[in-house]
Amino acid sequence: MEIKNFLKNIFTYTPQPTYDFSLPDNNTNQTNADVSSKAENTETNQKSQTLYTSLSVNLDYIKSKYNLLINSDIITREFILNVKGKQYKAFLLYIDGMVDSQLLNDFVLQPLMMRNKNNLYDGEQNRVISEAISNNITVRKVKKFNLADYLESCLIPQNNIKQSNSFEDLFSGVNSGNCALFVDTLDIAFDIDIKGFKQRGVEKPENEIVIKGPHEAFAENIRTNTSLLRRFTNNENLVIENIDVGKLTKTKCAVCYMKNIANNDLVAETKYRINNLDIETLLSSGQLEQLISDNNSLGLPKVLSTERPDNAAYHLLDGRIVILVNGSPNALILPAILIDFLTSPEDRNLKTIFSNFLRSLRILASFFALLLPGLYVSVTSFHIEILPTELLYSILSAREGVPFPIIFEILIMEISFEIIREASLRVPSAIGTTIGIVGGLVVGQAAVSAGVVSPILVIIVAITALSSFAIPDYSFSFHLRVFRFLFILLGYMSGFLGIGIGLFVYLSLICDMDSFGVSYSLPYSNMENLKTSGIILPPIWQNEIRAPYLATKNNKKQEKYSMKWKLK
Amino acid sequence: MEKNRKINTISAIMLTLSIVVSYITSSIPRTLINETKSSTLLNIIYTTAIVLFIILLFCKLIKKFPGLDLLDISEYLGGNFFKNIVGGLFIFYFISSSSIMLRNFCEGLVVIYYPLTSYIVIIAMFIISLVLVNRLSFNSTINTSAIIFPIVIISIILLFFGNLHNFSFRRMYPILGDGWYNTFVLGLKNIGAFGGICYLYFLPPMLKQPEKLKKIAVISVITTGIFIAICVATLLFMFSFFITADEIMPLFSAARYIEFGAFFQRFESIFLLIWIISFCCYLSITCKFSTHIFAKMLNLSSMKPVLNIFAILIFAISLLPKNYASSIFFETGVYRYLRIAIGFILGMMVLLLANLKKRKVGDNN
Amino acid sequence: MITISNLLTKLFIIILVIVFVTSFSASYNSLNIDNLAFVIALGIDKSDTNELEVTFEFSAVDPSSEGTLSTKPVFNTVQCSSITNGINMMNAYLDRKVNLSHCKLIVFSEEIAKDGIADEIYSLINETQVRPSSNIVVSKCNSKYYIENSTPTLESLVTKYYQIFPNTSEYTGYTCNATIGDFFNNISSNYSDPYAILGGINNSDNSSNSETVNDSTIKSNETPITGTRKTQNIGLAVFDNDKLVGELNAIETACFLNIEKKIDTFLISIPNPEIVDNKIDIYLTPNTTHKIDVSIVNGAPYVKIKLRFSGKIYSMTRDAQYLDNKILDKISNSCNTYLESQFSNYLYKTSNVFKSDINQFGSYALSEFTTTSEFENYDWQNNYKNSTFDIDIETIIDSGFLLNQT
Repeated sequence: MEIKNFLKNIFTYTPQPTYDFSLPDNNTNQTNADVSSKAENTETNQKSQTLYTSLSVNLDYIKSKYNLLINSDIITREFILNVKGKQYKAFLLYIDGMVDSQLLNDFVLQPLMMRNKNNLYDGEQNRVISEAISNNITVRKVKKFNLADYLESCLIPQNNIKQSNSFEDLFSGVNSGNCALFVDTLDIAFDIDIKGFKQRGVEKPENEIVIKGPHEAFAENIRTNTSLLRRFTNNENLVIENIDVGKLTKTKCAVCYMKNIANNDLVAETKYRINNLDIETLLSSGQLEQLISDNNSLGLPKVLSTERPDNAAYHLLDGRIVILVNGSPNALILPAILIDFLTSPEDRNLKTIFSNFLRSLRILASFFALLLPGLYVSVTSFHIEILPTELLYSILSAREGVPFPIIFEILIMEISFEIIREASLRVPSAIGTTIGIVGGLVVGQAAVSAGVVSPILVIIVAITALSSFAIPDYSFSFHLRVFRFLFILLGYMSGFLGIGIGLFVYLSLICDMDSFGVSYSLPYSNMENLKTSGIILPPIWQNEIRAPYLATKNNKKQEKYSMKWKLK
Repeated sequence: MEKNRKINTISAIMLTLSIVVSYITSSIPRTLINETKSSTLLNIIYTTAIVLFIILLFCKLIKKFPGLDLLDISEYLGGNFFKNIVGGLFIFYFISSSSIMLRNFCEGLVVIYYPLTSYIVIIAMFIISLVLVNRLSFNSTINTSAIIFPIVIISIILLFFGNLHNFSFRRMYPILGDGWYNTFVLGLKNIGAFGGICYLYFLPPMLKQPEKLKKIAVISVITTGIFIAICVATLLFMFSFFITADEIMPLFSAARYIEFGAFFQRFESIFLLIWIISFCCYLSITCKFSTHIFAKMLNLSSMKPVLNIFAILIFAISLLPKNYASSIFFETGVYRYLRIAIGFILGMMVLLLANLKKRKVGDNN
Repeated sequence: MITISNLLTKLFIIILVIVFVTSFSASYNSLNIDNLAFVIALGIDKSDTNELEVTFEFSAVDPSSEGTLSTKPVFNTVQCSSITNGINMMNAYLDRKVNLSHCKLIVFSEEIAKDGIADEIYSLINETQVRPSSNIVVSKCNSKYYIENSTPTLESLVTKYYQIFPNTSEYTGYTCNATIGDFFNNISSNYSDPYAILGGINNSDNSSNSETVNDSTIKSNETPITGTRKTQNIGLAVFDNDKLVGELNAIETACFLNIEKKIDTFLISIPNPEIVDNKIDIYLTPNTTHKIDVSIVNGAPYVKIKLRFSGKIYSMTRDAQYLDNKILDKISNSCNTYLESQFSNYLYKTSNVFKSDINQFGSYALSEFTTTSEFENYDWQNNYKNSTFDIDIETIIDSGFLLNQT
């Protein structure tokens, strides 16, 4: 029976369900983009919306603007305000993580809500501005009671307070960490400065170092991280949704996206994947990354991981999704395609020529890291005629006295190099420097002078190692490190034939991959329009459209002439 | 074609061109020069013009059937049975010509680099890559060829410019070669060099912008003509012996002559590396197209079960010729005519008849 | 079930890898850098028993040297019936496999070249390893002797010397970068004949009559040069089809290179129009407006050659007046006459004496014919000797170098 089943399994075809999600083609979206951008324009015109006098209307407006139902860190606190014995409905709007709760409690909520002395005091004395007695008739000029002034001057003991009647001003205040107070019957609101970032947790990034650019890194606390994102984007369209993952740990994950930019399907797909994780524990973003991305046999990363909030904010504004996991100082950015792993946050801060130069250098480095040892093996074993004669003789003289065949020699060197790398990562930092000395001495100097390996090979291994360090993304360079061995084997087996066939299969696999519905090999394959393809980074003033493959709602990033000062 | 995303215009052009390019790198230029001697360049301009005419006719004919490929049209013309015959012929043509080319390519590799390895093993390596890649989507093949194609083109252009110092442009004379009859009448056989164009018959349903088919076809034909001309010019201007002699992989021997100073000499193996990749691409395109036609013929919902049949078929057919001589005979003596017969005559006949039928039906209505 | 099929696929992959590694291992072993002996020069002689005598030059690496690369040449000679046979015998003798992919120089002795070397050339070209840019030398002496004495004077590596010595032709015009690829190309066409570098040795005996030797008519074996290296490469060996028919001396080689447009500058000594029995040296640069036309007049080729040079006066004497246009014109005229006589000498020598079209004039004639068969019927190679040449040379002498008037 077993055998029968087995044969059946081999020879019959059972269609296997394949999970397939793809973003809609942007071609159709392109036409919509114009419409939506027009709609956007009209929206911007309406943006200077003034406050309504009715509190509930204000609340509804804010709800729709800030997506209160799904946004997890925007908080409206409704309460009843006591003024001179009268009660008004009121609410506070603020962002969790950006305000100082202590300040909020003690100096905003308390004076407003408590029936304290101030509240009981009816302020009759102040109402009389002047009193003149003529003909025994006392004429009193009485100031009309002004609730707003009264609140500002008597009830809120805060140093920095502004009255405003435009939502736009208020929102920008809220986004930067202030708190807005809305009171029923008033067509103004108060912008109260109670900023209180958790600055303490924010430190310098350790792994993604840039020279120009901000030096802030994500911390472990998810609220700190969301507040960092809020501060960088400074826009009410940023939606931060909370999803709990893990039956035991119930780890808080935040899905962040720009409501007016990110593709709805993409957002829905991401939330769908995170919501449908049947796991017990989730402790780090690395685990989540593996859980939500499609598997691939090459082990290539499909989600970009960053510890820089500015990088995350940049991708947010580009229409991507950022996922934060409580307890991990890394943000996951998705979808991420091949070229994203070769792009450093530094690139955006540099002039175009330099960033393009760096990028092409990194592409070259990734080729070296993947292929150089394999090419060396295949050239020395099958295609010697390609070597210039002088180089041939220096290789020959270097190999004189080396007992191992080249393949064995290169494997020894590569593996011992990997061991040194691993050891220097795991060792306590106090003795970390010794690893460098030991590794450099043993593998470099001693092995060569003992005649175990040839100096040319040390150079090859060193260039390969340097190249793999030049890759900005850690997990991508991991992939290159591992697959290098495959190409060594192929090169040893059949020279350029093996490498050619291996490269073809490798490229095909990469071209087959998707990251959240975006083809992985873009923009180098499947180019539609050379100008907007993004093969070459445009200068920042020509950065007019968002990447077409993200199928964003609003394709246009900036006007055609962004440097308006040039056009007088 | 589970994940069927449509092909955009540039990719479609690259797809057809990468088929032609692997024809070029294997043996086409030599066959052309053998056929028409020093008049080959003239002959290529002439054949390009003819193929351009044919392809414009094709675009005009297929306009009546928007979004349909040759199979749908032949079904319209002669029912399911006729469709199966046409599909079968095309599959036969795709598979057999690619396997003979594979055999010739591998024979060349054996001679050049792997003198002690059997050609069967080398063919098997190609087939294994084909089997591995077959599992992947059609899109992957298209994207891969779009990535590799520019590199191949650079290699061919480098071949031309790197050998510029070896050129003697006077070798293009006598301008008429073996006489006008040989150049313009017998030389018509050289249309076979444009065999890659007949993949266009099956493109329309896959295109993102089907209205751009004409653009794709015209650009493909013209660039094919240019590339063949570049390769033929390289060989013709460099060597006096190609008119009489026969050398394995003609472009490879041209690559041996490239040198830039004393350091960069003899990097023909780099060219070979690029051509191996492009040849793999060609094989996988052929295989994908054959599977696609087969699935369409039999109305299969999924192509998975038949995926590897064609790879194994290519393997088997490529082992059939007894030796290099007989496989060269198949290529120059049989498949050249087959290319013309199936690629141009059959396809165009089907289209013409279908148009006539449509007109008749339209009249009746 | 899944585990079993998984296991099977894994097993299948392992078997596949083993099969491939074993089936490629033979090629690997035969092409691996460790198992090869790289020939850097090949000498072909005729032995006493009318067989071939093939000399291989290898380069043994000196392992004791740290940092700098030093090699010492190793010579092995074998008597055999063909080159392939010789390589085979050498394989049996050596511990490594002979590989020709870095062979820079192929030397034929004069003796064997006179008998025809087509077979050797064809079989060398048939070998995938041989690079088409290997230089081909016909040596006046025994080719074994030639190779053994080709020690570099300035370079430490002999391969470097082999690589660069033919390039001197670009500024001396005394030799030519003749490669086996060109040789094969010319031998297999029906409108051109091959040529090779003429190699030889210093004959110290010759130095006695060196006074009579004009500096520009020197060629290998007859030069007044003495130095640490005994061999020299001056002049050109001319073949008719595959047989050596003659030699060109230095100035004739310069003429050949000029017509081929393969020369950048060269130096000639012309009679001084002002002073009898005096010579001035002119540094000539060919202009790019060379023009060669070949037409068939009355069944015989009529070759029209138009050459333009610009030159500067290299040698300087007392009382030179090189700013005077009249004097410059005179010098130009003298230069023209000198060059015209040299070129006609050269063309007469190759067409009438050697009957060999090494300049590929036949390829210029191709455009006169409409079909290949017409050209074949004309039989260019036999008709070339009837050629008439019309040489039109114009030289413009500008000035001296730093000094113009003394």
